Amino acid sequence: MLFLEKILRSKAAVWTLLVLPGLWPLWPIFVRPDPSVTADALKYLLHHFGFVACVVLAVVLAFTPLRVLWPKWGVAQAVNRHRRLVGVAAFVYAALHVTTHFVYEGGLDVSFIPDIFRAVVSKPFQLTGLIAFTILLLLAVTSPNAAIKWLGGKRWKNLHRLAYVAAGLVAYHQAAARKIFPLQVLWIFVPLALLEIARVWKQRQVGRVVPKAS
Amino acid sequence: MHIRTPKDWELPESAVTSESLYHLSKRRDFLKALGITAVALGARQAMGATAGFPTKLNPAFHDAALKPTAYDAITSYNNFYEFGTGKDEPRELANRGWKTDPWTVEISGLVDTPIKIEVNDMIGKVGGIEQRVYRFRCVEAWSMVIPWDGFQLSKLLALAGPKADAKFVKFYTFNDPKSAPGQREGNLEYPYVEGLRLDEAMHELSFIATGIYGKPIPNQNGAPLRLVVPWKYGFKNIKSIVKIELTAKQPRGTWEAMQAREYGFYANVNPTVDHPRWSQASERVIGGGLGGRQRTLMFNGYDKQVASLYAGMDLKKFY
Ligand code: HEM
Repeated sequence: MLFLEKILRSKAAVWTLLVLPGLWPLWPIFVRPDPSVTADALKYLLHHFGFVACVVLAVVLAFTPLRVLWPKWGVAQAVNRHRRLVGVAAFVYAALHVTTHFVYEGGLDVSFIPDIFRAVVSKPFQLTGLIAFTILLLLAVTSPNAAIKWLGGKRWKNLHRLAYVAAGLVAYHQAAARKIFPLQVLWIFVPLALLEIARVWKQRQVGRVVPKAS
Repeated sequence: MHIRTPKDWELPESAVTSESLYHLSKRRDFLKALGITAVALGARQAMGATAGFPTKLNPAFHDAALKPTAYDAITSYNNFYEFGTGKDEPRELANRGWKTDPWTVEISGLVDTPIKIEVNDMIGKVGGIEQRVYRFRCVEAWSMVIPWDGFQLSKLLALAGPKADAKFVKFYTFNDPKSAPGQREGNLEYPYVEGLRLDEAMHELSFIATGIYGKPIPNQNGAPLRLVVPWKYGFKNIKSIVKIELTAKQPRGTWEAMQAREYGFYANVNPTVDHPRWSQASERVIGGGLGGRQRTLMFNGYDKQVASLYAGMDLKKFY
């Protein structure tokens, strides 16, 4: 555990962990081409980036409950040093996903662009994606220290609670993207939901036993 | 007479199992009847239930402007939920012992002579196979161009003789959960069924495919025979057919039964009627690279041939 804790404290290690999933598609597309992937490589990228964005978002949201539930656990402390970095990574993968969507839907022909926008706003599954993406964008641009100062800690915190809204929207978006319900939505979001429930429960307990000093 | 030279995918006759030899002899009889000599047959029998029948492009069903999709993509990017919901899974999982040779098809219901027929006998009875190059448009908004080998569906139905009160044709896929992991999982209601109106089924474009690019159809594409109705979305093109039933009542397809708002009985390719979750106005061209997007054509480009089947119908309602 100590070893894991040490690794997770290092910024370089976390950067590496965050960048690797982005490089993964090079393997089935270029290194060892898989015809199931190269048949429509952009579609593969679209799904891959969407999936990674989802996982990274769920992971970063799990950090706080882990720390609240196990405050003495070194790993929970270690990962919480990187909250903002991991959060921004979720945004970057979401941005890659959305960009891929535009290239996928438009080819290299700009005359498709109006169609793409029409679909994004008229299809609920895509609209939820757009709202989630807008939230992540907002959180990413307000993540530098200067933004925290400018907003003030409390307002910043409230704003960043929108990440939970984004996660809910994304869970729906991901579930609706497939023709039949994808189980991956459950294994990404159910553990997160359980952690959140446990955290809220614990904070209430603590709040009850130790009344706030006035 | 068109004589094929052996291809690298073809096995020498000595490699063929005894069970297939039985069918081989039938193929040989059929080829002899066509005037193909034993020399031409040579060492060119292959694996696959329907291997060995000579095919020839039918120019009436070929548009020189169409660029066929690569064989690798056609056989690696498949929706065949019996073998998993991923596009890559059927290629893997349909080739782990699932037997498609020998294969028998039953034609029953409102017909003069219900029959059960082995697929090689079937090809003999309908007069052999030909190649047609068709557009293929999936409801998920991607498309391919596929050189199918096979025969016109109407010829097969004629073997049983639809009765006057038959109005629809219902197709059934095999049901064998032992061989098909998707059926074990129950990711859809099985067996997979699909249906056509009888006049759609009798249309000259409606086709039964037994091959792709002159090779027996691979398991992941629906061996040994599947439906191809090129003006409809791909899910209508039911794979690995074991039973065809003529009915008076409109059948309900598997996808329609599951989600009627998204998958209609007609499922005609129509760029003006969106899927609830995405637009059908354009499509991704498989193998088309970064610029691989094109506008979808009404009835997938077959409107001249099939529009009259739907004269007077509101296609927004009967999607
Ligand atoms: C403007 C915003 C967005 C648009 C237009 C969009 C569009 C799409 C589309 C078209 C699909 C695939 C549908 C198909 O399979 O055919 C998809 C899937 C998906 N998207 Fe998005 N998306 C957006 C934002 C997001 C965001 C912000 C996230 C996550 C943080 C996300 C995560 C996913 C996931 C996980 C999938 C499923 C991938 C899979 O099935 O493997 N999307 N999205």
